[in-house]
Amino acid sequence: MNTVYFLVQQTMLFTIPLLIVALGGMFSERSGVVNIALEGIMTMGAFTSILFVKFTEGFMSGQLQLLLAIIVAGATGMLFSMLHAFASINMKADQTISGTALNMFAPAFAIFVARQVQANHVQQIDFENTFRIVKVPGLSSIPFIGKLFFSNVYLTTYIGFAILIISAFVLYKTRFGLRLRACGEHPQAADSLGINVYKIRYSGVMISGMLGGIGGLVFILPISTNFNATVSGYGFLALAVLIFGQWKPARILTAALFFGFMNTIAAAYSGIPFLASMHIPSYFYKMVPYIATLIVLTFTSKKSQAPKASGIPYDKGMR
Amino acid sequence: MKKIVSLLLILVMAAAMFTGCGKETYELALVTDLGTINDKSFNQGAWEGLKQYADENKITYKYYQPAAADTASYVDTIGLAITGGAKVVVCPGYKFEPAVYECQTKYPDVKFVLLDGTPHTEDYTVYEIKDNVYSIFYAEQQAGFLAGYAAVKDGMTKLGFMGGMAVPAVKRFGYGFAQGAEQAAKELGLAAGSIELKYHYTGAFVADPAIETMSSAWYQSGTEVIFGCGGAVGNSVMAAAEKDGMKVIGVDVDQSSESTTVITSAMKMLSISVYDALTDYYAGTFPGGQSVTLDVTVDGVGLPMDSSKFTTFTQADYDAAYANLVNGTYAPVNDSAADEVTGLTLEYVTVDFIE
Repeated sequence: MNTVYFLVQQTMLFTIPLLIVALGGMFSERSGVVNIALEGIMTMGAFTSILFVKFTEGFMSGQLQLLLAIIVAGATGMLFSMLHAFASINMKADQTISGTALNMFAPAFAIFVARQVQANHVQQIDFENTFRIVKVPGLSSIPFIGKLFFSNVYLTTYIGFAILIISAFVLYKTRFGLRLRACGEHPQAADSLGINVYKIRYSGVMISGMLGGIGGLVFILPISTNFNATVSGYGFLALAVLIFGQWKPARILTAALFFGFMNTIAAAYSGIPFLASMHIPSYFYKMVPYIATLIVLTFTSKKSQAPKASGIPYDKGMR
Repeated sequence: MKKIVSLLLILVMAAAMFTGCGKETYELALVTDLGTINDKSFNQGAWEGLKQYADENKITYKYYQPAAADTASYVDTIGLAITGGAKVVVCPGYKFEPAVYECQTKYPDVKFVLLDGTPHTEDYTVYEIKDNVYSIFYAEQQAGFLAGYAAVKDGMTKLGFMGGMAVPAVKRFGYGFAQGAEQAAKELGLAAGSIELKYHYTGAFVADPAIETMSSAWYQSGTEVIFGCGGAVGNSVMAAAEKDGMKVIGVDVDQSSESTTVITSAMKMLSISVYDALTDYYAGTFPGGQSVTLDVTVDGVGLPMDSSKFTTFTQADYDAAYANLVNGTYAPVNDSAADEVTGLTLEYVTVDFIE
């Protein structure tokens, strides 16, 4: 039983950042802007917020500090993503190139600034992790559920699920959501009905920047004792989750859980007697999510749910 | 009027520049590998040795930071150091191999101390070491041996090794770790196969949730200490150890300041080797033209016993083990002995090699 609790707790380390960042990607792509800058945005969000955590250490700790760090991460991501929005919406640049530029810029910037602002001039930013909740008071004593979801957790896990619910609501139940989806499918039609496509697309990219930045912080906190200007390719993995999830919130959750769980098994099986005794190499588990993505894409490519206008700069003259 | 003022200003500035260059020279120089001298790693170790020698002997010294992490930059910076009067240039890290290869012919009168590397061309086709270069390697298997030995002597029986890429230096650490555990188990009279060693290479030197998860899974299944051997890999191991209240062994330098979970570190004694090389230089016996592997006989590797947090393993135990390594009673083999850790002959240690 303990193994089950352990696997669920570990799965969250993979799933929550992937979920948050993929949802971010969803907002951008459904508004019609391809955002492959997620990796760079994560890096920037993680960078400023970890720096914030480091500089407020000593007179602040725990959940309040975490919440403030999340705000810092979100704001950074939003600001950073506006570069992408400007290039791809106003300047009508190739969105892949603009995204790649941000991805290349982010780690270099993080290393440079970390060296400038830290007293010891190193690129790694050490931080103290005071954020893990060993037991949520009250809730953790519920049998089964308590150990599964309310022990050894981070506040960010709940925030991740909250973001999921809010995202689904915004996308499907609000006027803004409808307009966003319209701009991603047929911006000319949306424009003809008086919707400001540029504004909507800006909002889409900025939301993705905010979530991407938060995702970066959520990713790095539980897995290291310092931040070294990288999120190890999880921004790109989030894109895979987004595609596997067919640009829909509920499916994205399924995809993130699936990727997270398979990665957890691949990493943890050597410490679980039942799985270790089967002697299946970890490569197998690591391959499964990608093979599954390929299979799903093969079978769904004909009726792919990708937003039709995604990646195409909106040009009023095309109407 | 304006023109005259500006002309005067220019003259003053030019004069200031020349006086700024001055006649000040620095005999000893360290060129950093882009990091700074406080990087808790190679630069810092080498700098401490250089500084100590220079301070004790009242010799001028300075460090230079290259603009970029490539050979051209390194060569330029070495040139700058030499223009600044350097007679000995210390180059910490294998990244300097091609730069030193170039500079050894360019500056035949200057001595180079190259840590953890040997001069060769950028494409690895020509290896040549001139008389003015002293190339230093370390016997990582002995450092790993001491760490494994100390862990088992300290009462631990379930160990883990989390390596970065399976490069020779990491492998030597790992093989030594297994053999040290073996030796200690033998001395303690434990049953055959009673030490459990989980062994894995992550394939990169970055932090990753997969490493945190694997470490955590090991800790949950009873592993008492994990040797985190490979840059940021160690930080992910530390994150897992902090969560589970477990122990970590650090690598290369004393990592006890990075996390309270670090009980000791398998160290390369960079500062001592730089200090010794400088002593030799000023004694007129600079060991140039050769590539050496520093081991326990010259204090090249070891554990930082001052900052270590063992419960029963004492300084005396350490000294005894160290002496046995020096006199050859303990002779851990290096990476040329076996392709994989499973190829080592171990009786007391059961290696669980995880692909």
